[in-house]
Amino acid sequence: MSKTYQAIVIGAGPAGSSAALTMARAGLDVALVERGSFPGEKNMFGGVLHRLPSLEEIFPDFWQRAPLERHIVKKGVTFMTADSSFNTTIEAGNFDRPPFNGYTIFRPRFDRWLAQEAVKAGATLITRATVDELVHKNGKLAGVTVQGRDGELLAPVVIAADGVLSFIARKAGLRQPTFNPAQMAVGVKALLDMPREMIDDRFGLVREQGFANEFVGCTDGVRGGGFLYTNYDSLSIGLVFHLASLRTSGKTPYDLLNAFMEQPQVAKMICGGKLQEYSAHLIPEGGYDMIPELVGDGILVAGDAAAFCNATGLNLEGINLASHSGVLAGKAVVEAHRNRDFSKQGLSHYKKLLEESYVIKDLKLYRKAPHMLHNDRIYNEYPELMCSFMEYIYRIDGAPKENLSRLFLKSAREKVGLGNLMADGLAPGEHYEYRRNF
Amino acid sequence: MNIDEIFDNTSFTIDREPHIVLNYDICAGCDNRGCVNSCPARCYSWSQEEQKMTFVHDGCLECGTCYVVCHKDAFTRWRYPRGGFGVAYRMT
Repeated sequence: MSKTYQAIVIGAGPAGSSAALTMARAGLDVALVERGSFPGEKNMFGGVLHRLPSLEEIFPDFWQRAPLERHIVKKGVTFMTADSSFNTTIEAGNFDRPPFNGYTIFRPRFDRWLAQEAVKAGATLITRATVDELVHKNGKLAGVTVQGRDGELLAPVVIAADGVLSFIARKAGLRQPTFNPAQMAVGVKALLDMPREMIDDRFGLVREQGFANEFVGCTDGVRGGGFLYTNYDSLSIGLVFHLASLRTSGKTPYDLLNAFMEQPQVAKMICGGKLQEYSAHLIPEGGYDMIPELVGDGILVAGDAAAFCNATGLNLEGINLASHSGVLAGKAVVEAHRNRDFSKQGLSHYKKLLEESYVIKDLKLYRKAPHMLHNDRIYNEYPELMCSFMEYIYRIDGAPKENLSRLFLKSAREKVGLGNLMADGLAPGEHYEYRRNF
Repeated sequence: MNIDEIFDNTSFTIDREPHIVLNYDICAGCDNRGCVNSCPARCYSWSQEEQKMTFVHDGCLECGTCYVVCHKDAFTRWRYPRGGFGVAYRMT
C-alpha cells in the first residue's frame, strides 16, 4: 500500500531528524525513514558534539533536554612515537561554564532522542526501512520505494540525509558515481567501560567534566590520527585513516588500533577499561571540493550525504554541520510548499541559506585543509621530531649542552630533512602532487 | 589485546541474503586488493595459493570502506542491509 506525505526525509541521523523536526513544526506531514531498527543504531562518530545554533533556536533548552555525556573542559593534542609522547592540553575556565563548547554523546541515544523530538512535533518515523529507489511520476520525483516492502512512500519532495555514501544522491544524479579514496577517511573505535571515579581521577576531572584528546603519530605512518574521549563511565578510543593511504599501506585498521592501545602511554590511560563495542564508519573528509550538487528537481541533500564535514586537523566537525544543513533544508522545503514549486529552482533557496551560514563559509575557509593533511611527514616524522627534541631538552646527563636552535636543526635534519622542513613551512603540503595523482 | 576479541563485542542481526555481492573473477585479476587490509571488520580474505577472494558479510559494519577503496568496480551488489538487519550499535 502506498502512503502520501508532504515530504520524505531519508535517514534519521542528525541531518534528517533536524530537517523532519523543522518541517513538522511548520505543519508539514513528514515521513522520516530510517534503515536501523531505531535511529542511531547504525551511527558512530569520534565523539564530541559541538554547539548547534539552529537546534538551540528551536529548543532554547536544548542542552537540558538532550541525552548528553560529559562537557569537554580539557582538550589535548599528543604527538607520539612507538614509545614516547609530547602532549599539550588546554583547560579553560570558560569551557566549564554554560554554554559549554562540546559534549561527548552516544549516537544510539542522541540520534534516537532527536528523532523522537521530530515525532513529537508530528513527523512519522518509519524504522527498519532501507530506501531502495526514487519513484518518478509524470517526469517528476514522486517518492521512494523501500527494500523488501510493497508499495511506495509518496511525496513531492525528498531530503537525502542518507549518510556518507548517499546512494540516493547518486540515484538522483547529484553526486559522482565513484568516490575518491583521497577524500574519504575511515574511523574505527573501541568503547571501553571504566568506573566513573577512575576516569575522574585519571584525567583530573570533577562533576560532569570531560576530556578530549587527539593523537598524531599513532598510525604507523598511515595518514590519520587518534582520539580518546571520556564519557560518564566509559572511554571512546579510536583511529581515523585516510583511505587512499590506508589502502596502499597494507596495514589493517584493527591491528593499528590494537598497537595504539598498547603504546605504553596510551595503555596507561586505558588500563582497567573493559571493551564493550567496536565500531567503524566513513568520514567525508574532502571538504568544500567534495560537496555534491545540493539540489535537484524534488530533492535536497544534507549532512554527510552532502559531505558537510570540516576536518581542519585540530577539530573534526560533522554533526553540527549536518544538523544545521537539515534545518535549512527543512526551511527550504517549507517555502517550496508555500510556493508549490518543487523544481530545482524552487528548492534553490536551500543553497542560498547554506551559503549564508557557517556551514559553507567554514568549508570554504578550510578548503585547503584536506590538501595540507595529505603530507605524510605530519604522521610520522614530525611527531618523531617533537618527541626527540623534547627528550634532548630534558635530558641532563653531564654531556655539554648544545645551543637549542642548533639542536633543533640537527634533530630536524635527522628526522625530517631540512628541505622538507622548508617546503612544509612554505608550501601547502603535497597539494600539487595530490592534484597530479587524482 | 587479542584482536579476535574486538570483533566479538559488536551485535548483529544477520540477514541470510548478503547485502554485498562480489564478482570474484574481477578480484582475482585485481592488482591492489586494498579491501583485504582496509576493511575494519576483516570481511575480505585473499588466498594466495588458491588465488581466490573470500568475502563474508556477517560481521560487516556497513562502513563503506570496501565500496570506496575498490577501484575495479567488483561489486555486483553493494547496498545497505534490509531494514532491521545488519550491525546494531548499542552505545558507541
